[in-house]
Amino acid sequence: MLHEMSIGGMLFSPLVVLVPLAFILAAATRLALHYLELRRYIWKEAWFDVAMFVCYLAAIVYLFGD
Amino acid sequence: MGKLARIGVTLLVVAAAVFAGTWVWDHYLYSPWTRDGRIRADVITIAPDVSGWVTGLSVKNNLAVDKGDPLFTIDETRYQAKFAESKARLAQERTGWDLAKHQYERRQRMADRQSISEESLEAYRIRAETAKASYQLAQAELETARIDMERTKVLAPESGIVNNLALRRGNYVSRGAPVLSLIKSDSFYVTGYFEETKLQLVRVGQKARITLLSGGEKLSGEVVSIARGIADSNTSSDNQMLPQVQQAFNWVRLAQRIPVDITLDTLPDDVNISAGMTVSIYLETDLEEE
Repeated sequence: MLHEMSIGGMLFSPLVVLVPLAFILAAATRLALHYLELRRYIWKEAWFDVAMFVCYLAAIVYLFGD
Repeated sequence: MGKLARIGVTLLVVAAAVFAGTWVWDHYLYSPWTRDGRIRADVITIAPDVSGWVTGLSVKNNLAVDKGDPLFTIDETRYQAKFAESKARLAQERTGWDLAKHQYERRQRMADRQSISEESLEAYRIRAETAKASYQLAQAELETARIDMERTKVLAPESGIVNNLALRRGNYVSRGAPVLSLIKSDSFYVTGYFEETKLQLVRVGQKARITLLSGGEKLSGEVVSIARGIADSNTSSDNQMLPQVQQAFNWVRLAQRIPVDITLDTLPDDVNISAGMTVSIYLETDLEEE
């Protein structure tokens, strides 16, 4: 169950918080891979980035969505 | 070789993302949860059984009362007068009956001596019967007057909390018109409005986790019943009782909500709940165990 977030008395979808969190993680991964020069092992960068984002989102929902 | 590894790594991550994305989607859409739940309680609306002015108010708003405690009293002078009147009427009818009985008995003795006609004797017998019936009627009226007088004191039918008390001393209350409500103690339960698409995942006896809007501690409960009917907004009856069915039926439409009742297990002491509060409900599925 995804419980709503109360921000200043207004209730928001938890994804309002979880999606930026996943985005930050995905961006961090991208930067890390860039500095470690591992991005050359990636075939389609855009596919990879989107897939990373979805994986992070699912992990966050699994861990904190309750 | 390098090229194959590159393609493999990317496809692996994409495949993982497809699985994870499907899981999130299913988790959100197809697990039995709702954020449209309400705390409810057994509410008793108190209405006086007699009309009159309120002369005394024994309770305060939002405070507990025990079963049988007085709630308020209604001016009873009118009912006392009525009671006295009925009592006097009873005495009157009693003497009337005595007289008729006496006259009949006397004429019975006369009939033995054959000095009264059969018809006259019969008339006196019937008169005595009538007087007896009148006496019984007066008795019943006295009983009614006594009940009215007793019911000027309104007592709590159950233990509970007085709610929405706008009644004041001096108000006129009418018979049958509710004046306050009593929330029965320890009668809190939860009704969750589940989307019809999720209803197949709801079972009686299923454990429920209930979260108040304020978050914090989770309450637990158990599904007791599923409503077996909701109103059909697609149709109404015309004055010939024929169904008037709406012509428009959209492709895009919302799942309707079905009420599901859930009992609460023992509440933690430090949790304040009131009937009407919003809760989110998640039902445990044992599909994994099956």
